[in-house]
Amino acid sequence: MNPRVVGANLVVSIKSFYREKTAMFFTMAFPIILILVFGTIFMDKENVSLRLPVQDLDRTDSSAQLVEALELNGKFQITGVEPGIDATQYAKKYKRNLVLIIPKGYERYLMQRMRGNDLDASVTITYIYDPSSTSVATKMEILNSVFAGINQKMSGKPPFIRSAEKSILTKKYRFIEFFIPGIIAMAVMTASLFGTVNLNTELRQKGVIRKLSTTPITRTDWILANILYQFILAVISTAAMLLVSYAVFHVSLQINAWLPVFIVLDVFAFVGIGMILTRFVREAQSAAAAANAIMFPMMFLSGSFFPIEMMPGFLQTLARILPLYYVNEGLRASMVFVDNMAALRNSAIIGVFAAVVFILGIFATKWEEAK
Amino acid sequence: MTTRAEHVIEVEKLTKRYGVLLAVNDISFTVRTGEVFALLGPNGAGKTTTVEIIDTIRTPTSGKVSLLGMDVTKRKHDIVPRIGVLPQGFSSFDRITVRETLQYYARLFCRRNTDVDGLIELVNLKDKTNEHYKNLSGGLQQRLGIAIALVNEPEVVFLDEPTTGLDPRARREVWDVLLGLKKKGTTVFLTTHYMEEAELLADTVAIISKGKIIAMGSPGELIETNVDYLVLTLPFDDGKAFEIVRKMGFEPVHDNHENIKVRVERTDDVQKILNAIKDAGTSLRSLDVRKPNLEEVFLKLTGASLREGPAGGGGAE
Repeated sequence: MNPRVVGANLVVSIKSFYREKTAMFFTMAFPIILILVFGTIFMDKENVSLRLPVQDLDRTDSSAQLVEALELNGKFQITGVEPGIDATQYAKKYKRNLVLIIPKGYERYLMQRMRGNDLDASVTITYIYDPSSTSVATKMEILNSVFAGINQKMSGKPPFIRSAEKSILTKKYRFIEFFIPGIIAMAVMTASLFGTVNLNTELRQKGVIRKLSTTPITRTDWILANILYQFILAVISTAAMLLVSYAVFHVSLQINAWLPVFIVLDVFAFVGIGMILTRFVREAQSAAAAANAIMFPMMFLSGSFFPIEMMPGFLQTLARILPLYYVNEGLRASMVFVDNMAALRNSAIIGVFAAVVFILGIFATKWEEAK
Repeated sequence: MTTRAEHVIEVEKLTKRYGVLLAVNDISFTVRTGEVFALLGPNGAGKTTTVEIIDTIRTPTSGKVSLLGMDVTKRKHDIVPRIGVLPQGFSSFDRITVRETLQYYARLFCRRNTDVDGLIELVNLKDKTNEHYKNLSGGLQQRLGIAIALVNEPEVVFLDEPTTGLDPRARREVWDVLLGLKKKGTTVFLTTHYMEEAELLADTVAIISKGKIIAMGSPGELIETNVDYLVLTLPFDDGKAFEIVRKMGFEPVHDNHENIKVRVERTDDVQKILNAIKDAGTSLRSLDVRKPNLEEVFLKLTGASLREGPAGGGGAE
């Protein structure tokens, strides 16, 4: 190993990267855009403001109080619908999946009940809804629980069953906090895999490797320079992703020693896979296709974007044989759940995997063109 | 080395097979210190295979090759720092400038005081110092490749088809650079399929065909010993002149440009042919008489033209 030679390669790689704008975009900007887009989509869902159009046919103080009670629940963003409008038509026209109708006489029946004039007096609140919409069930559940609470109160007796909530997590985490470790793992994987495949196949095809084989640079220097380069890129892109996450979404993540550990293992594992790939797929284009074939299932099945618990059982089993799954799990264990044991377990698994593929990769890398 | 061996390269019974294909077939030759040695032959003759075995890119099937007194198969590590190579189809990092590229290669050889500017000047790239490699034309890229081959002040420089694919002007500019090297006394091992290139640059030419060296010597010697005739070239006509020459007992042939070429032993024969054509009432637009060149030597030895490649030849280079 010659540090000067490794350094020279590192300089050339970084300069080439900096000057190649598309590579810059896909390595740096793309993961950030993903975070921004998904973060924004799911941020809306978290600070839920479910739209709820309410048609108040009663137009009394009591009905207004009911609307206020729904609003105070905090989950709804309520809009009024004029009494003269047909609610079904309204829902269709404005693509609303649920319209609530407070009937005429609401206050009158309420008074009868309250004053004890008629203990059987009741009102029917109508839900005009679209059963094909996915979020309508949530809305109806929330409404039902609000109404159940009101009914319970009116009975004048304390409820028998109360509930208490206790999270298994030290703190509640948001989707974006779940998402970011996954994107970091994915971005480092993509950059390492593609970086290695492109570098080796392109330079081999162009004949640069042949020229290099007539200089004192050794295979070890070359591989080491590539690993270092990929690691530098991974650090820069991770820092950029975290910066955006903190600045834009005010995430609360644990940054500890596990983060560099998982990034290093992520880099080694996928540079190793890249080196093995380039040994067997010699053409630059087919090598890129092969890299894609490895990367895409990994991206979607290993829990980068959503928890694997959302997938059917056999896919969950499949996810557990994907190396990226362990990087995802490990990063989440350290950054979100602060579970050192889980982080250790995952790092051991991906560590063994990385060591094996990297060593295979070293043997797979050839300087001379054996024709 | 304090005392330099007279022969920097010694090739003995070198053979290289690719499966069933015999690319290099039992060749032997030596290269002297300070000379420009050209391996001349058509595509597929085995030039690149030979040079890549000598400059340690490939390994031979059998035979012995020594470079700078060392066995190329055993001491690559010691040889590489002392040679410079411009491989066939040379290419470099797209987005790295001329200067940065030279600095990079100098660092690979762990040389702290390589005269990068001197090299840039030597290959006439001063105006392009800060140009990215991919923005250079083919000729400029080749010249950079030659400069790279010189970053370690090599004792032997290998240039594998340095002008293939270049237009005539770019080729001439590369030749100027190579003539500069020759003047400085650098030992150069050159492969080419351009006869003019070998004739212009080489002290010794080895003609290779189908993996065999079929003739070797200085360009003058090769011509002298192999062809003892003059070549008369007449412009294309409607066939009359061709017939007249043929009937006189000569063997005229049409060349690539459909001119008539006739081999004649003596200058008297030229006179005879011209008279006969004149007597037949046919006038000539032009004519050319000259001593044969390496092209004719090759043609005579192999029965094929350099450009077209030998009949039935070919193979991996």
